[in-house]
Amino acid sequence: MRGRPLLYTSYEADQALLNTTTKRVMLGLFFLVLISIPFQVVPGLKFLGQEDWLRLLTTAAIFVIGALGLNILTGLAGQVSLGHSFFMAIGAYVAVWLGGPEGGPLIGLGLPIWIWLPAAGIIAALVGVAVGPTAVRVRGLYLAIVTLGLVFIGEYIWRNWDSLTGGAQVGRDFPPLQVRLWKEEPPLLDFTTPSTWFGVEFSGAAKAFFLMTVFAAVSALLAKNLQRTRVGRAFMSIRDRDIAAEIMGVNEFAYKLLAFGISSFYAGIAGALLASFVTRVIPERWDLFLSVQFIAIIFIGGAGTVTGTFLGTAFVILLPRIVQNFTLWLQAVATEGEGILAAIADVFVATTPNDFGLVNTFAGVGPGLSVAQLNLVLYGLLIIGFLIFEPFGLYGIWLRIRNYWKGWPFTY
Amino acid sequence: MRRKSKWLAILLVLGLVLAACGDGEGGETTTTAAGEEETTTTAAPSEETTTTATGAEIATDVGVDLEAGTITVGLLSDLSGPFAPLVTVINTGHDIYWQSVNADGGVNGLQVELEVRDTAYVVDTHVQLYEELKSQVVAFGHSTGSPQTVAINPSLQADGILAIPLTWYSGWSDPAINANLVPHGVPYCIESMNMIEYLTLQAPDATTIAIASSPGDYGEDSNAGAVLAAEALGLEVVYDGTGRINAADEATLAEVASGIAGSGAELVWVTTSPTPFGSIYGQALATGFEALWSGAGPTWNPALVGPDSPIKDALARDFYISQYYAPWAAESEGNAMVRDLVAEFAPDAPPLDYYAEGVIEASILHQALLAAYEAGDMTQAGVLAAAKSLESVTFNGLAPDETYVGEPNDRVQRAQFISRPDPAGLAGGASTGATLIESNYTSPIAEAFEFTEACFKLG
Amino acid sequence: MTPGFVVLAQETPASNEFAQMLVDGISFGAIYALLAMGFVIIFKATSVLNFAHGALTGLGAFLVAAFVTVLDFPGRYLTSLPEWAQWSANAITALLVAALFGALLERVFLRPMVGEALFAVAIVTLGVDIVVRTITNDWMGTQPRPLGAPWGLNTVDLGWVRISWSEIIQIVVTVVLLGLIVLFFRTRTGVAMRATAFDQETARAQGIRVGRVFSLAWAIGAFLAGVAGLFYSIYPRRATGVDQSTAFIAFRAFPAVIIGGLDSLLGAVVGGFAVGLAEAAANAYLKFEVLGSGFPGIVGYLMMMVVLLIRPYGLFGTPEIRRV
Repeated sequence: MRGRPLLYTSYEADQALLNTTTKRVMLGLFFLVLISIPFQVVPGLKFLGQEDWLRLLTTAAIFVIGALGLNILTGLAGQVSLGHSFFMAIGAYVAVWLGGPEGGPLIGLGLPIWIWLPAAGIIAALVGVAVGPTAVRVRGLYLAIVTLGLVFIGEYIWRNWDSLTGGAQVGRDFPPLQVRLWKEEPPLLDFTTPSTWFGVEFSGAAKAFFLMTVFAAVSALLAKNLQRTRVGRAFMSIRDRDIAAEIMGVNEFAYKLLAFGISSFYAGIAGALLASFVTRVIPERWDLFLSVQFIAIIFIGGAGTVTGTFLGTAFVILLPRIVQNFTLWLQAVATEGEGILAAIADVFVATTPNDFGLVNTFAGVGPGLSVAQLNLVLYGLLIIGFLIFEPFGLYGIWLRIRNYWKGWPFTY
Repeated sequence: MRRKSKWLAILLVLGLVLAACGDGEGGETTTTAAGEEETTTTAAPSEETTTTATGAEIATDVGVDLEAGTITVGLLSDLSGPFAPLVTVINTGHDIYWQSVNADGGVNGLQVELEVRDTAYVVDTHVQLYEELKSQVVAFGHSTGSPQTVAINPSLQADGILAIPLTWYSGWSDPAINANLVPHGVPYCIESMNMIEYLTLQAPDATTIAIASSPGDYGEDSNAGAVLAAEALGLEVVYDGTGRINAADEATLAEVASGIAGSGAELVWVTTSPTPFGSIYGQALATGFEALWSGAGPTWNPALVGPDSPIKDALARDFYISQYYAPWAAESEGNAMVRDLVAEFAPDAPPLDYYAEGVIEASILHQALLAAYEAGDMTQAGVLAAAKSLESVTFNGLAPDETYVGEPNDRVQRAQFISRPDPAGLAGGASTGATLIESNYTSPIAEAFEFTEACFKLG
Repeated sequence: MTPGFVVLAQETPASNEFAQMLVDGISFGAIYALLAMGFVIIFKATSVLNFAHGALTGLGAFLVAAFVTVLDFPGRYLTSLPEWAQWSANAITALLVAALFGALLERVFLRPMVGEALFAVAIVTLGVDIVVRTITNDWMGTQPRPLGAPWGLNTVDLGWVRISWSEIIQIVVTVVLLGLIVLFFRTRTGVAMRATAFDQETARAQGIRVGRVFSLAWAIGAFLAGVAGLFYSIYPRRATGVDQSTAFIAFRAFPAVIIGGLDSLLGAVVGGFAVGLAEAAANAYLKFEVLGSGFPGIVGYLMMMVVLLIRPYGLFGTPEIRRV
C-alpha cells in the first residue's frame, strides 16, 4: 500500500520488525554507512576510518551488546539492576578460564573461541538466574542496593582470586579474537592482525570492527524480537503492574529469573568480548562506574527501546573523544584566533598555568577542570538533564522531531 | 515545560553535531607529516626525506615536520587517577624543560610540542589513547603505570615506537621485554635493597624486619627485593604483608598496622601510596611501636609532614625517604637548573621535588632526538634506535647517569638518593619536606646483585 | 594540644581482643550510623534514594578541612577561646555551609523530579553524585587535606582496651546528634516533616510548605554526612586527611540503611552499629589466608543479603503496601 503505510492487512505485517518502508530504507542505509566506514568513502565521515576511531566504534559495538541486556532487564522487565559490571566480569573471567593459555602460572585451558565465548554468556546467565530469586523477594529500590552489593562482592573476589584474574593492579592477558578449530596454531581467522580478504586489505582494527558490528546486529535483532514475543509481553506486564500480571497467569517468579538470565547472558558475552578486544584488563576494571555507564546509556538513550540503546551507547562512548577534540579546538581558537571568538574561548580554556579557565588542557597543574573531569561533569549533567527534561531519552527527542515533521505543516 | 524541552533538545543535538564536526579535520593543534588527509594508519606511514635548512638530509615519518619546524612528543599521563598528584607536577617539569629548549632554538631549530592525554590510570583508556597518539607523535615522553605500559608494549614493538615508562618496575631493564623502552632510575627491587641496607647502618643491632605492600607490580617487585635484602643481611622477616594493603579499605590498613606493630620488628619496609602509609604508620605508632621505617619512592609525600599532620614529628624521627633523583633544595648543578626553569617558566608553581622527574624524562628524550638528528633518521624507528644507542646520559647531579648499551647486569641503575623528612623546613618554605643526606648511593648488596630478569614477573 | 593520657602499651593479650574489637566496632559503627541517619531522613521526607550521599560526605569533610586550615573562619575572630573551641567553631560553620549546599542541591536538581518514578529520581541522584564529587575533587586537588583535629593521636589506655580520644568523641557526638534529631522531630518543624513523610499531598493540603521541608531534610542529611566525613578523615581512620577516596565510605553505609529499613531512623542507627561491629569482628577474627584481603569491606553487604531474605523490608522498615 504505497500511500497508506499504516494500513496493515495481516498479523505478520502488523508485527513485522520493519513494518514501514522508511524503516527498511533507513536501516539499509545505516548498514551501508557502517560497512563503508573502514573504507572511508562517505564524505564527512572519513575520519571515522582512522584506527583510533575504529577502536572507539568497536568498543561502542561491544557496549551495545551489554546495554541491550540491561535494557531487557530494566527497560523491558522493570527490574532495577546496578550489578551489570559483575556479570560482565563473570563473562570475561569464564572466557579467560577456558580460553587462556594452558600450563602457565594462571588458570587457563587453551580452548578455542567457539567454546569460550558462548560459555561466557551461558555461565553468566546461570549466575544471573541464581541471583534472580532475590528480585522476587526484594523489590524496587531494595533490589538496586542488592545488585550494588553484587558489584562490591565481585570486586572483592576478583581482587583476591589471583590465579584467575592475575591479581589486583596487575591483571592478565585475555584470549585474542582468533578463530581456531581446536588448539592448533596458526588460527583460521584472525581479527587482530592485518590481512587480505577477497583481494581487499583490511587492518586488524577494521576486522574487529566488522566482527563486533555483526555481533551487535545479531544481538539487536534478538532483543527487538523479544519485545513482540510472549516472553516480551510478559516482561512488560511485570514492569507495569506485577500483581495484576500474576493474577492474569504470568508466573512472576519464572519470568523474573528469565529476565535476569537473558540480561546476564548479554552481559557475559559483552564482558568476554571487551576483555578480549582490549587484551589486558585489571580486576579493578569491573567497578561501579562501569555499571553506572550502562545505566546512563539506557536512560540517555531511552529505556525499553533498541534504537534508544544504540543512540545512548554512541552518545556515552563517543562523548569523551568529542569533548576532548572540542576542548583542543577551543584551545587552538583561544591561542591562535582573534577577536571575540578567541576572547570567549579564552574564558573557557586555560592556556597557561596561570590563566583562568573552566578547563585546562596543557601539561601540568592549574586551575579549572581537567578534560577527564569535564567529561565526568558533563556525563552527570547529561544524566540529570535527560531524566528531568526528556525521560524517554534521545529516542524520545527523535520521536518528537519525527512527529513534528509527520504533522507538518499542521504541527499543532 | 514541553516547549522548553523541545528547544533544549534541538540545541543539544545541534551542539553535538557541531562538536563532532569540529574534530578530525584539523581539530588537533599539531601537524603530522603524513599529510593533511585522514588516512588509515595501519600501513607504515609514508617516509619522507626532506632537506633541512642546513642542507642535511633527514628522514621523517610521523611526529616530525621539517617544513613547519616542529617535533611532537606524546605523554600518556595519569592526571585524574591515583597518581595524579605526582604526574601533574611531572608534566609541568616536561613543559618547562621544553619551553626552555624551544626558547634556545629547539632541537637543531625544531620546536618541540607536547601532546598530553589523561589516561586516569585505566588500562583500556591508556591503550585507546596510545592508538590515538601513535600517528601524531615521534615518541612517548612517558607512559604512566606498569600494567598500562605492559598493555601497550606489544603495540609499541609492532609499531616501532619509543616510550619512557613512568614506573620503576624492574622488568623495564629486562631485555626480554624492553626492546622499545628506556627506563631510568633505580628499579623497585634494587631500591629496597639499597634502603634496607642503609637502615641496618642506622640500626646495626637490628635483626628483624616487617614488610608490607600494595598489590601489583609496584608492591610485589619492591618486596621481592626486600626479601632478597633480608636474606643477604641476615634479617628475619617477622611480618610479611605483601599485597595486603588496599588503599580503599581501612580494615586492611588496620590489619597491616596491627600486624607490623605486633611483630615487634625493628625495621619496617612499606611500599604503597602516601595516604594508606600515613594511616598504617599512625595506627602502629599509637600502640607504642617504635622502629625505623622506609618505603619505595612513591610511598612518600611531603603532606605526611605538613604543618597539620599529627604524625609529622614521629615521621621525622623514624622515616628515611628513598628518591630516584635529588630533592628540590639539593646543591647540584642539575637542581639549580630545575629551580631556574621553574622560576622562569612556572613562577607561581610551588617548590616540589617532582619537577625533576619530568626534566629527567625530557632530557633523555632530548638526547635521543639530538642523536637521531645526527644520524639523519628522525622517523619513529630512528628515534628509538638512537635512544637505544645512548651510551651515557648525564643529569649534572640531578640523577645518576644512565646508559642504554651493554649487558642488563651492567646497565641497570643501582644508585639513588636518600633524604630525611624535614617538617620545619616545609613549614618555613625552605625545603620541600626532604633534606638530602646521601647522593648516588649504592649499597654493597645491590652492587653485588646479579640482575638478569625482572624480580617480579608481571603476568 | 590538650594533654592526653598517653600510656604506651605492650602487646594486647588475646583475652582483651574481644573488648578491643567491641570498641573499634562501636566507633566505626558511629560513622555508619551517622551516614545511615542522614540517608534515612532524606528518604523519609522526600522518598528519594540518595546515591549522592558519598559526594555530600566528601564535600562536608573537604569544607571542614578548608575552614579549619585555610579560612580559619570564624576561629580567627575568637582568639580569646582555647584552640579546641576555635577548631570546633570552624568545623561547625563548615558543616552548616555543607548543609546549605545540600539544600541547594535539592532545590536545583530534585525539585523538578517531584512526582516522578522513584527509580528515575534515584538515577538523578547518581548523576548529582558524579557532578558534585568531580567538582569537589577538582577543588580538593590531588593531595590529601588534613583536618587538624585538636586531639591528635592521643589515646586512652585502660589496660584492657585502648581507645583513642578521636573514637570517644565520635561516639559521644553521634549519641548527642541522635538525641538532637529525636528532639527535633517533636518540634513543630519536625512534626511537619513527619507529616510530609507520611503523605505529601495531605500535608500540603494542611498548609505545610512541603518544598521547605524537602530542603530542610537534605540540609540535615548533608550535615550528618559531613560529620561522618569529618570523623572518617582523621585518626584513626586516615591520618593524612580528606582526599578523593573519602566519598566512597558512603557506599559501605548502604547495607546499614537496608538492614535497618529504608524508612526507619531507629533502624538506621541499629544497622549502622551492626555493620560496624560486624566489620570489626571480621577484621579481628576472620584472618584466614583463604579469605584474602578486604573481606571486612563486604561483610556489610553479605549481612544485608541475609537480612533481606528473612525480612525483605529490613528489620524495622514498613512493608510497602502494593495496590493493583
